[in-house]
Amino acid sequence: MKSENGFYGQFGGSYIPEILYSSQQQILTAFEEAKNDPTFLAELHKQWQQFSGRPTPLTYCENLTNHFGGAQIYLKREDLNHSGAHKMNNVIGQGLLVKRMGKTRVIAETGAGQHGIATALVAARLGLECTIYMGAKDIERQYPNVFWMKQLGATVVPVTTGAQTLRDALDEALRDWSSSHEDSHYLIGTSCGCAPFPEMVAFFQSVIGDEVREQSMAQFGQFPDRLYACVGGGSNACGLFLPFLDDKDVEMVGVEAGGKGLELGEHSIRLSHNLGQPGIAQGFATMFLQDQAGQLQETHSIAAGLDYVGVSPIIAHLAETGRIKMTYAMDDEVIAACTLLLKKEGIIPALESSHALAGAFKDAPNLPKDSKIVINLSGRGDKDIFNVAKAVQDETFPQFLTDYLASYPTNHVDNKEQNA
Amino acid sequence: MSQLAAFIDKKRQTKPILSMTHVVYGYPTVQESLDWMARLMKEGVDFIEVQFPFSDPVADGPSIVAACHKALEQTLDVETCLAQLGKLAKDFPESRIVLMSYLNPMYRFGLEKFAKRASEENILGLILPDLPIEQAVDYRAACEKYQIDPVWLVTPVTPKDRLAMLASQANGFLYCVARSGVTGHSVHEDKAHENNHHTTSLDNYLAEIKQHANAPIGVGFGLRERAQIEQLIGKADIAILGSALLDAYNRGGQEEGIKLINALFH
Ligand SMILES: Cc1ncc(COP(=O)(O)O)c(C=O)c1O
Repeated sequence: MKSENGFYGQFGGSYIPEILYSSQQQILTAFEEAKNDPTFLAELHKQWQQFSGRPTPLTYCENLTNHFGGAQIYLKREDLNHSGAHKMNNVIGQGLLVKRMGKTRVIAETGAGQHGIATALVAARLGLECTIYMGAKDIERQYPNVFWMKQLGATVVPVTTGAQTLRDALDEALRDWSSSHEDSHYLIGTSCGCAPFPEMVAFFQSVIGDEVREQSMAQFGQFPDRLYACVGGGSNACGLFLPFLDDKDVEMVGVEAGGKGLELGEHSIRLSHNLGQPGIAQGFATMFLQDQAGQLQETHSIAAGLDYVGVSPIIAHLAETGRIKMTYAMDDEVIAACTLLLKKEGIIPALESSHALAGAFKDAPNLPKDSKIVINLSGRGDKDIFNVAKAVQDETFPQFLTDYLASYPTNHVDNKEQNA
Repeated sequence: MSQLAAFIDKKRQTKPILSMTHVVYGYPTVQESLDWMARLMKEGVDFIEVQFPFSDPVADGPSIVAACHKALEQTLDVETCLAQLGKLAKDFPESRIVLMSYLNPMYRFGLEKFAKRASEENILGLILPDLPIEQAVDYRAACEKYQIDPVWLVTPVTPKDRLAMLASQANGFLYCVARSGVTGHSVHEDKAHENNHHTTSLDNYLAEIKQHANAPIGVGFGLRERAQIEQLIGKADIAILGSALLDAYNRGGQEEGIKLINALFH
């Protein structure tokens, strides 16, 4: 979606410290040129295909459809991307742009670690130095992803300020960029941040919706009646929705994280239910979860990837104008939706994506039998093994962990010294 | 002429360089921060730069970030802060106050009201490092209306034409960031390469600014030694002391802070 000078209605824009002005201008120019350069686009499509496995399928879910007895349910399988999430679409695009700008290092923030891993993968492949900022609390919650980032050669920096989660990691990535802008690119993971990041990330993610346009025509001879996507920062939602923006008959539903409840601090609902307020922080204007005095607040979701205080200015604008309908799903509804997909269709969804499932499952029974809905399955759930095990109260998991720990070699301290 | 520039010009008749010392409002408590501000003004600093804390201060390094987060363990209120600063301004007429914050708390307070109330409380300048001049039409109009100076920042990597534009817009003083990065000592420092072809040395940079700026020049970011301040004499009007002073305060309270100021400026 084209912006008006970086703005989408009252949202977006560019609110960055002066030190970043030149780097931001460089990205603006480089992106503007790249997206109109057939050679760049050809390389992008080649990498999407050969490295990430695109196009991803559109999967019909017969069992779920029968189960609900309403709309015909299809899943857009972003979980089948390399690294297991849509994050790869963006990271490949920005990675190629980094090469084009001649920079040698990338910086990224990550919450769950999905974007961190995707960035580390591409950095390894493109020969870029890579630093990932991650809240110290998130590192504790998501250690397996941290492990892989390190193995891929990235430096993972724990962020110990503030609430020690994604918001703080984003702040720290901006601080790094303020020092390192001459040779480093800030590879943001979602369609947030200063212009042109929201537009650029949405552009790279729009491959999702572009494919759905073709696949829906080929598989059922029409565009979908309704689209569903979870909304963290908003990149997978932008990716699915934006290519259908002018098709007025295609309805769009964004699903936010309701977490444990509607009290401030218990959820990450910025748009539905009027829980967020307009604000300007982290480089852009959008709806933020904040207190009366304009201090940003802590958020919660069972899905670390939705646990963010702001939201894409593009989604905020489309929600305000009514083009997208926003709703939310609570943690327990999300686990139920995840479990249902496992049992009915043999697909393991990410907890983030399970929000989109939960939102769609509520509507599906009440929709006409000949209507078609497409749910963006933004990622696979392997990464959530610990959290899902805990949520479904799997009885044998603790025993597994205890046994595993007992057999784990304890001389790792010596190893570390040898490596140093 | 702007009140801020006039004050600087007058003070500069007798002093080779003026001091601006930074204090985080509410750190470690509101009262202690007010006491510290009063002490600094009593000791004769030319300016205090008061930072109203924000949860996500992206232009600041670890010392100031930690102080802001500590301060925010209390509920801080912009209106109360302004009134308290107004009292200080009355009590210490030899010094002046500028107020720094990030955009969001002031945007929520109302930018027009912010300019109005700050001006009423005899605050002479406002610094919002994440509000670029291009996005500041209404804010600039409000500052003009209430006769308070918005302070713009320039950096060693600001393109020449933009630097000229910002310098020409400055009235009270122009804030020249001395180097890339955030305030204070930071883990990110070694990532900046200051002396390659993109950046000029501090002297050349300040000389370039002088060509375009009618307003006085303040220099901040990374100042912590007397030699640095001496280097600025004749090239800048104000030396801004931020994290170094906070670090001294954290080591030994007000006394350690005053010792640093005396070592740097007297
Ligand atoms: C699988 C998955 N889906 C969704 C998201 C949320 O991000 P966005 O709203 O930008 O798509 C994440 C973020 O980490 C994710 O990993």
